[in-house]
Parts: sequence; structure tokens; C-alpha cells
Amino acid sequence: MRTALLASLRHHTRRYVASGLAVVIGVAFIVVTGILTGATREGLTADVGAPVAGVDTVATVDDPQAAQRLLDEAAARDVPALGLGYAMEPVARDGVQLAASADIGEASLTPSLQWQELEEGRFPATAGEALADVNAAKRTDVGVGDVLRVGTGAAAREVEVVGMVDSPAALGASLYVPWQVLSGFDGTLWIDAVAWGGSADLAREIAPAAELEPATDWVAERQAEIARGVDVIAIMALIFVVIALVVAVLVIANTFAILFAQRQRDFALLRCVGVTRRQLRRSVRVEALLLGIVASLTGVAGGIALGFGAVALVRHWFADMGTASLPPVWLAAGFTVGVLVTVAAAWMPTRSVTRVAPLAALRPDTGVDVRSAAGRGRLTLAALALVGGVTLLVLAVLGHQVPLMLAGGTAAFIGVLLFGPVLVPALIRLVGRLPGAGPVRRLATGNAVRNPRRTATTAASLLIGVTLTTAVLTGLASSRTALDVEMDASYPLDATVTAATDPLETGLADRATALDGVDDAVTLEGTFARAADVRLPLVGVGTRPAVVRGPDDLVPRDGQLLLPIALVEELPKHLADQVYDDATLTLRVAGRPITLDTVVDDGWGRSGLVSAATLARIDPDPQPVALWVRAADGADPEDLQGDLAALAGASGAALEGGYGNRSWVDLQVDVLTGAVVSLLGIAIAISLVGIGNTLGLSVLERGRENALLRALGLTRRQLRRAMAVEGLLLAGVASLLGAALGLAFARVGVEVMVQPAVEHVVFAVPVVQVAAVVGVAALAGLAACVLPARRAARVAPAAGLALE
Amino acid sequence: MTTTSTTPPQTSVAASARGLTRTYGAADRAVHALRGVDLDLPAGRFTAIMGPSGSGKSTLMHCLAGLDPATSGAVTVAGRELAGLDDTALTLFRREHIGFVFQAFNLLPMLTAGQNILLPLELAGREVDRALYDQVVSVLGLTTRLGHLPSELSGGQQQRVAIARALVTRPAIVFADEPTGNLDSEASAEVLGHLRRSVRELGMTVVMVTHELDAAAYADDVVVIHDGAITAHLVEPSADVLVAALRGRNR
Repeated sequence: MRTALLASLRHHTRRYVASGLAVVIGVAFIVVTGILTGATREGLTADVGAPVAGVDTVATVDDPQAAQRLLDEAAARDVPALGLGYAMEPVARDGVQLAASADIGEASLTPSLQWQELEEGRFPATAGEALADVNAAKRTDVGVGDVLRVGTGAAAREVEVVGMVDSPAALGASLYVPWQVLSGFDGTLWIDAVAWGGSADLAREIAPAAELEPATDWVAERQAEIARGVDVIAIMALIFVVIALVVAVLVIANTFAILFAQRQRDFALLRCVGVTRRQLRRSVRVEALLLGIVASLTGVAGGIALGFGAVALVRHWFADMGTASLPPVWLAAGFTVGVLVTVAAAWMPTRSVTRVAPLAALRPDTGVDVRSAAGRGRLTLAALALVGGVTLLVLAVLGHQVPLMLAGGTAAFIGVLLFGPVLVPALIRLVGRLPGAGPVRRLATGNAVRNPRRTATTAASLLIGVTLTTAVLTGLASSRTALDVEMDASYPLDATVTAATDPLETGLADRATALDGVDDAVTLEGTFARAADVRLPLVGVGTRPAVVRGPDDLVPRDGQLLLPIALVEELPKHLADQVYDDATLTLRVAGRPITLDTVVDDGWGRSGLVSAATLARIDPDPQPVALWVRAADGADPEDLQGDLAALAGASGAALEGGYGNRSWVDLQVDVLTGAVVSLLGIAIAISLVGIGNTLGLSVLERGRENALLRALGLTRRQLRRAMAVEGLLLAGVASLLGAALGLAFARVGVEVMVQPAVEHVVFAVPVVQVAAVVGVAALAGLAACVLPARRAARVAPAAGLALE
Repeated sequence: MTTTSTTPPQTSVAASARGLTRTYGAADRAVHALRGVDLDLPAGRFTAIMGPSGSGKSTLMHCLAGLDPATSGAVTVAGRELAGLDDTALTLFRREHIGFVFQAFNLLPMLTAGQNILLPLELAGREVDRALYDQVVSVLGLTTRLGHLPSELSGGQQQRVAIARALVTRPAIVFADEPTGNLDSEASAEVLGHLRRSVRELGMTVVMVTHELDAAAYADDVVVIHDGAITAHLVEPSADVLVAALRGRNR
């Protein structure tokens, strides 16, 4: 038996290449995930302990106030302590804003707590000095000697950069300032742990609720926390690995089914010469096992190469990536899964092998006639799965139940797959019969539907990838539309430049409109008021300015003052209380007192809004005080920020706006979309290998038939075209069906998951993206049959007729 | 070698070969399937090419039909020299001028009998000559079988469908390769009778490769081939003459 097994493996090696490739891709996917996870975890957990290396104790607090008390007391009593947290504040240099919201950490004045790696300059010695992170400074070109203004309004402080440091990802900030400065930003400061160099008793005395633990324990916890975060990402990636492997199982099972069908006569002959049923079964299963082992080893090797390459590539842009190492568990898991998947996929087809009667070898060869159809049991099961799945989906929509949705979606999808042998050929016939069919298309259609089950399995593999991709794209597009509506409401203006002390220069709107990233800009007139000693620009808004987004017009009623919360916070306590308690504010304009009803809102920068009529009443001679800007679609937020900062800086005005946040959210959705699509792309790639494989094996099977057609007058070109049309029909129908299913699932998903979370949900179909997925999948299906078509056309008619 | 060649009655020639050789494989292990064959096949007659297994009769047919390129020598079919035609030109020529009937696996399994018959016309994008189609179908007795799939037809019926397909394009010449090889004697007689009728009643030219004496008996002329060379070209031979010619080589 071994002779026959080895000879068969040698003889059929090329036919196994495609199914082997499916395993290789799947296994490599696992290994690459492992290597990337390992490197990311190593990079993120490295140096987590650096900030607390100089102390023995870390005090963890629930209440930021307690942390501040600890640090204040430590500073007062000269106890070494370092706040582990950060504030988010705007940073400007020479009146030009560098960052709208930079993370500001603490730079210790105590040498033992100066944990950052100094690259240039020195550590701060007094409260007016600061450290800048080299990576954050790359973009803004901040260097030693620069004086930076940090924070807004009265809380703003100026610091001089005296050193450039490199800091690890987990605890790094863009700028480090001494506690004396940092404590001033209590509006945005968040500190939940303090590296404590004093005694435990002292800490407990200052902050009784503080939890004290050895620094090493705290570091271990932090590392575990980060590792868990990375693991969550790895698990997400593994979901896609599972999808890819399911597709691989379909491709492999199909390959074996086809190969065994073609080898029926060989098997029958073996049975004739005395091979038992069991020997035959074992022999083909050993074939599958060997294929699995070889393919998995190749996949592991390929995965290692790809993984190391990917890590090197990522390190190029992202300095916090760790180094690549070989993860033994992942390698073993990848190998094992690859072998198991191959053997499992081959299991069903090998069962049919044993049913071959020895007599089959003695019958005249009438060509391979492997018709397969859907059994009644299968159709019953399909109907049950479909009905059950749809019912669950309806329940999921009604109750907003995600687990129900997943169960229903899976069941319904399995139902569709089980219906495949009936559904897919019917659809192919339908498409094949579209007007304009010539003999080539009729031939291709006939060939494509000849083996319903084979056709269905091949289509199913592509269907999975296209369905999921369409569903994810549509779901994300709908979420994005919902988010856009939310963003429009939260950030009515993309960018604002508001005068601080002097009116804006005339012509600023024209200069702003001329900028690349600006769609439209308007200048608003206003005046300057005083609330106690706070200078408060008032902007008059008559009708809704064209640049405003969202449902709110930003037009106050007459006698009403719209105030941003940040401005209220700047006011002296008695005035702030007046706003909060009485909803009024008394201002002085040109020395005259005036009291207005106040509404606290946000979204237009550091100014109060009044109606045009109110403005005319309090200042008959208004001047330009605000520039409101709407960004062009797709404008780069950094460039826009920089360009507007240059304009604002020149006039000493403050720059604010929601465009940065908006494009950050957009970017996140884009990154998510890209990541999911490329991960699903692996499953699609495997299914395309499967399509090429099915067609390639069918070519071998149809050798005589193709020769006959060639003899009857089918030209080489026509034969190639018939193959191409067959591939196109198969891939096209699978993609269209997948897109339709994907849209249906996305619809359900949006109802179940997005609806409860976000108001104003609109079901948005990203037509271009979905069309691109269908187009790419169909064309890739076409590309997958280039090789089989060439092989089919190469055979001379006489040689084909001589095939036995 | 004894060449007992009798020149057939002078009619037009449907296909001819001059100095035709066909060699397979590399020089040291070359197999000479045809060694310089000269042959004229007259139009409007039913010619059988006979010879034992491995004599080169199938290769001769494949070369005459443009399915297999000649190593050297010339093949002319319907007045057209085949050498020098590229694959596409050859294919187009085949579908215009040549019909085929093979031993087995003659029909496309997914097409009905009627669709199989019309396939060559469809491939060529030619109009169906309804009158000819009806005539061919009725001569071959297929009128009630046109909607059936090949798997629903008997072996003899399948071969009749194949013959109808070969005739419906009104080719210059029809090649039949062992058309009764897979049939029992009753079905064989029926198929061969139909082939002869299509020559007599439809004026077709049929060349049949066979190794069965009974089959050759239906033909007008018999060409005998041994070891890649023609040893006899007999016109309307009697059974004795034919047997003698076939045995000739061993004598």
C-alpha cells in the first residue's frame, strides 16, 4: 500500500498545491498574529517601571483630589513624589498654537525621579522649566530654548524647554512640566497614582483612602493590564483567522472531493487487486495528513518571515514596537491547527472513497461523470436553519440583543450555504441567460452549473468573505453617518479664530478662504466686554452663518448671552455663581454695565454670543472679533491647524474648533475599516485560490470534452473565454449574493447595535465601496482562471482525445 | 511490401495526403506512426481505413482532419493545404469543412441531443439550414429524441446524434473514428447503415477508421494500413479480396 501511496502523492503533487496554499495562508496568518502580538506587548510593557524606579511605594487613589493633595504636601515637605498621570492642555509658541490638546506629564525636580531618557539638554531645575518628548516635538519642531505657553486663559503658564527626552509609550507625554505648573491645570488633570518616596504613614495621613503597594507590584499590574489590552487585539485578529480557516476548510474539502472523484477508477483498480476498504481509506487519509504537515510547516516558515518583516516595518514608523521573537506557543498552535484543519476537511470526502465498488474499474471509461446534487435531508436542514436564523434576527432587532443577532446571523448564513447547491446554480443560470449570450457563454454557464455541490462549495468560500466584508463596510458607514450627525451637533464649527485683546485684521476671512483646507470662512463682528477683570469678546450673530454645521443655528435670542463653559470657569467665583445660579451675567461694555440672560453651551471658541440686535444695542460701532471656518472635505487637520494658527498668531487670537476631533473620529473609523477589510481580504484570497483550483481540476476532468469541442470548431480563444466566463460567473454570482446578504446583515446589525447607542441612525450603503468589493472579487475570480484556461487551451485536440 | 493499389473511379478528391509522415517523441526514442503516406480520398464515397491496433490508422485520420500536425508532407482537404495554417485558422477550417464522429464520449453531457447536433453551427455562429437539419434528423431517426440528454439515450442513439451533428454543417468530409467500437452488433449495424445512407441519400463523404471487418463491409472503398504505410486501396472489394488484403502483410 505504501508504494501506491507514495506514487500517488508524487503523481498528484501539483493538484494538491492549491489546497496546500489555503492551509499555508491560514497558518501563516496565525503565526504573524503571534509575532506581532508578542512584539507589541514587549514594546508597550518595556520601561513601564521606569517612572517608579526611584521609589519603593506607589500610592493609588480613586480621587484625583487626593493625588493632588499628596503631591502638594510632598512638595511642601520636600518628600520625593511623582504624579503618574497627565493633563490635556493647548500648547502655543510665540502666539502660534502647536497643539490644541497635548498630554502634559510631570517632570520631577528630584534627580532620583527624573526617569525619562535625556537626549539633549538637561532636566528642569526650577518650576519654569520643562522637558519635551523628542517624538512629539518632531512635528512641531520644538527644541531646547523654546518658550511654550501651556493652558488657556488665566490658567496659562509659560515654560522654557530645557531638555529633550525619549519616553516609553505606556506612560509617555508630549511635554513634562514641574508639579508647580502642572497642578495649575486642575481642569484637565487626571492623576490616579503617585510614585511615593516618603513613608507610608505620611501618605496615609495625607490621603487616608490611598492604597499603598510596593512599586514592583504596581509595575507588574500595569504590565498585566497592557498585556490584556494587547491580548484583546490578538483575540480580535483570531476571529479573522477562524473565518479564514473556515474558508480554507471549504477549499480543501472541495479539492479532495474533486480529486477523489477523478481518481475513482484508480481506487477501484486498487480494490480489484486486493486492497481492503480500510487500507484505501487509511491511505487517502495519510495523504491528507502529509499534505497538512507539509503545508503547515511551510505556513509556519512563511509566517515567521512575514511576521519579522512586518515588525521591522512597523518599527520604522512606530518607535514603541518591540523586537520580534519566536512565540513557541503560537508556532505550535499554528502548526497543529493547520494539520487538524487539513485532516478534518479531507475526512468527509475520504468517506465516499471507500464506497467505490471494485467493479467500477472494469466498466468502460465514459469520462468522469461526477454529478452531485442536494439531498432532501440537506434541503430540510437548510430550510430549518434559514427560518430559525431569520426568526432569531427578528427577535434580535426587536430586543436589541447582540448574542441573538450573532446566533441568528450564523444560522441564516449556514442556511444559505446549505441551499447553495440549489441556489447558486439557479442564480448562475439566471445571469448566464442574460440577453446577448453567445455559444461561449452558454457553454460556460452549462459547465458552471454541472456539479451543483462543487459549484456551491466553491461559491460558498467566496461568499463568506464578501458577505462579511460588505456587512462590515456597510455597518461602519452607517455608524459613521450617525457619528457625523453627533459630531455636527457637538462641534458646530470646524475652526474658530477669536480675538483676545485687539480686533481681528480686516481681510482675514478672504485670506482664510484662500487656504487649501478651507471650504468657507466668515468674519463676525463684535465687541469686547469685561466681566470683573476677565476680558470677554462678544460676537454678534444675526442669521445662521453658512459655516455652521449641525441642528443648532448658534443664533441667540435678543438679550441672551451664549457662554462656553471654559469661559465661565475663567470668571471670578461670584460671577460664575451668578451664571450657574441665576442664569444671568453682568458685564461692562465701554464702562457701562449690562446684564444679559446666559445660556451655557459650547462649540464656537472663547467668546460669548449675542444676537445682532443686542450687539447693536451695547456697541453701535462693532469690530471684527471672530473668524468662523468650515473645513473642506478631507482637509488635513494638522495642516489646517497650522495654517489657521499662523493667521491667528499674527493677530494674537486664539484658535479652537472641532475639525481635529472630527477628523480623528473619521480616521479611527477609516483605520477600523481598513483593518477589518484587509483581515477579511485574507479569507477572500484563500477563496480565490479555491476558485482557481476548482476550475483547474475541472479542466483536467474535462480534457476529452474540451478536445471534442476543439475538434468541432471551438477556437483556442473561445475555449479560454469560456473558462474565463465560467470563473467570472462563479465569482460574480458569489460576490453579488454575498453583497446582498452582507447588506441584509448590516441592516440588522445597525438596528441591533448602533440604534441603541446613537440617535439619528441612518442606514447608509457605501455604494462605491460595496461595488468595489463585488468588482474586485469578480475580477479576481476571473484572474484565478487565467492559469487553468491557458492549460486547457494548450492541449492539442488529438492529444486531448487520446486522454484516458 | 506488396502494394495492390487499384485506382478508384475518377471523381473529385475530398482529401489527399502526399508524403505524409508523423513522428512522436525525441530522436532516439522516436515512434514513426506514419511513414510517407500518399492517399486520395474521393468525394461522395464511404471509405474505410482498416488496420490492426497501432498500425497508425487513427493518426492518419487525425492528420487528415487537421487535429494533429504532420511532421512532414502535405495534407489537402477540400482543396485547401493544411500545412501553414495556425491553430485558429485550422479550427475555423475544421468547423467549416470537416465533421467528426468519435468512438466514445462524443456528446457533451449537459446538452440535449438537439443542442449537441446544432453545437458546431452555434460555435461557428452560422445560420441553421432548417431543411438540411430536418432531413438529417429524419434520415437518422432522431425526430422524437431531440429533447433528451445523452445519458437518456442508448449507445446507438448517441452515435446517431453524433453523426447528425457531423452532417448538419454539410462538411466536405466526415471522419468517423471507430464509431461502433462501443456498440453491440445490432446497434453497430444500425449506425453503419445510417452512415451509408448519409453518403447515398445526402451525398456526403465519409471516412471511417475501424478494425472490424464487418464494419468495413459497409464501406464503398477500403484503405488498408500496416505499420504506418498504406498497403492497399481497394474499390468496392469483395469480402475475400478484403481479407486477403488484410492478411497480405503476413503472407
